[in-house]
Amino acid sequence: MEETGKKRLVAILAILAGIAYFLVCAVPLPKELVLSPVWSTPLPPEQDGKALAASSGAATPRSAVGAIPFRIGRRFGYFTPDGELVFVATPAYGVALSPEAYAVYDRLSAGFTVASPSGAAIAKVDALGYPFFSASRRFVIGPDQAEVSELAADGRIAWTRRFGSIATAFSASPSLAVFGLLDGSIVGIDPAGKEVLSFAPGGSRIPGIYGVAVSPDGGIVAAISGLDRQRLVVMEKRVSAYRVAYHRWLDSDYRRPVDMAFTEEGDRLVFESPEGARAYEPSGRSGGREIVLASASPIGLGQTLRGGELLALVSGLSGEKRLVCASASGRIVVDAPLSATDAFVRASGDSIYIGADDRIARLDLREL
Amino acid sequence: MADRRGSGPRIAAAAAAIAAASAFGAASALDWPVFPQRIASTFGSPAAGRLVTGVHLASEGGLVKSSGDGELSFHLEEGRHPAGLPTPLGSLVVVEHGKDLAAVYAHLAPGTASTYLDSVQSGAILGRAGSSGWVEGSGALFEVFDRREGHWVNPLLLLPPLADDKPPIIRSLALSRAGTVNIVGTASRLPQGSYILSADIADPADSPWATGPLAPYQIRLAVDGVELTRKVFDVARGSGGELLFFSGEGLPSSALRTPEGRWIVAELLLPRGRISLELRVEDAAGNRRSSAWTVIVE
Repeated sequence: MEETGKKRLVAILAILAGIAYFLVCAVPLPKELVLSPVWSTPLPPEQDGKALAASSGAATPRSAVGAIPFRIGRRFGYFTPDGELVFVATPAYGVALSPEAYAVYDRLSAGFTVASPSGAAIAKVDALGYPFFSASRRFVIGPDQAEVSELAADGRIAWTRRFGSIATAFSASPSLAVFGLLDGSIVGIDPAGKEVLSFAPGGSRIPGIYGVAVSPDGGIVAAISGLDRQRLVVMEKRVSAYRVAYHRWLDSDYRRPVDMAFTEEGDRLVFESPEGARAYEPSGRSGGREIVLASASPIGLGQTLRGGELLALVSGLSGEKRLVCASASGRIVVDAPLSATDAFVRASGDSIYIGADDRIARLDLREL
Repeated sequence: MADRRGSGPRIAAAAAAIAAASAFGAASALDWPVFPQRIASTFGSPAAGRLVTGVHLASEGGLVKSSGDGELSFHLEEGRHPAGLPTPLGSLVVVEHGKDLAAVYAHLAPGTASTYLDSVQSGAILGRAGSSGWVEGSGALFEVFDRREGHWVNPLLLLPPLADDKPPIIRSLALSRAGTVNIVGTASRLPQGSYILSADIADPADSPWATGPLAPYQIRLAVDGVELTRKVFDVARGSGGELLFFSGEGLPSSALRTPEGRWIVAELLLPRGRISLELRVEDAAGNRRSSAWTVIVE
């Protein structure tokens, strides 16, 4: 009799434990995410040195408030989140492009005009070399690829820095511009032109810097360096100096610039690897782990959706690309084919802006 | 022609390469990457607002070949940097020639760089000469970086001698003070004091490009028979955000030329009396020229 009571008690406890487990520990199935097309806009064909207000054919540029810059093939321009093309142009040689400004330059550039997305002149710059814009900062690299200047808002040269060898890699945040050099060193320069970081990762048979990335707050600098073997080095700013916080030997053997970038939130470093795009979290959520996000030749690294919850990128070889969205854990939530030779991806909020050869489109993420 | 390769300055990896070449009976450490050798600018020549740290070899689409056995360590296609960094050197490849010598072959014709190569044999085709990036003419820029010493080496120290028998030209000598430029010979009497001595020197080798005059290899100044200055365009290195030329402490490139384009040779304190000045100039092929002046300081 007593034995039967015990069995009943155990059975009741087991049932209660089961109910408690489902109430407390159960994880709801994630909602399925789908990409919903919002608009699609054709791009005019490339025309050397000509600018077109493509949506209307009007000569005067459209409103450029909140315009998103793009570059696809040789064309560049701006479009609004609503799908209006502010303008599209094909530079005779090159263009520096940012959300705030652009500058078209010639092959033998001795100066250029910085213009707003609406085409209004902001500054005239007299400097030999090519401009490049990043993190709301404007730079010029000299004809020998070993001298860099930063431009003040009015176009004057704020500072100039000459390197010991040619620049092979670059990344900038509002507080730090980082250059990787052929000699295997990394140089970090603050907005006043002061060298605040100088480091040579070393350890490989052949030195060299193949990619650098700086976090948006300038506190973390990552680099892919050397040949035989190639190495990922992550430095964090502690007090006033940058110290190596993480490094690992890589299986890669890149002999060209490597694509790498921090996400807008600064919590993840995304970089190219032979397996595809990889993400490394320096700290926080997953404590310094690496995950593979997508395979083959990734483009547009560092683009995040939903406040950093998802990463968006284009992956694949020429003509056979895929649009991929992956969660922080590496789970692929969207994988869509994309037939394009040239492509770009921009992400903001729940929207993905994608360019494919002669068309730009907006796709919104929606939960089913 | 005098052979000055391997002599004088300390150029560690380059000197080792020269020594290794000599040990195997080779005439030079590296071979010319472009044939025929039409020099458009030499190491130290002014071009594009700065002084060149290699040699520009003019060619209209000719083959650019590896100067020696090595390993391709880096390649970059014009305008195709994933971080948006522009490419003023255009399409380029970097080949490691032996230990610690990295050679840059730049301004290649777009799309012609042999990026598939890892191991490179001497004479292997690296691409075609072109005009990609910021360059005045068609050809290839050849630069050699000594990784051990961390500086650029004059490639002409490592390449076979040039077939050039024309010595450099010394057009004039000038003594400048407080903004006044005195061309020596037209104003033979000067007040005593401190002067900047500069010289207008040109190499008569015809540059196929519309660049400035070719830099000499060596400038020496003797005052009253005593050598005071010897400037050898052997190496250049970045230091403190500037490009320094010459071995030793070096001089910033901004201190090598006057605004009018004369080479700054020395700063002299001229005491009273008759002073003889002799300038000796040598070009990359070893051709020499010397000129002498007498200045009366009052």
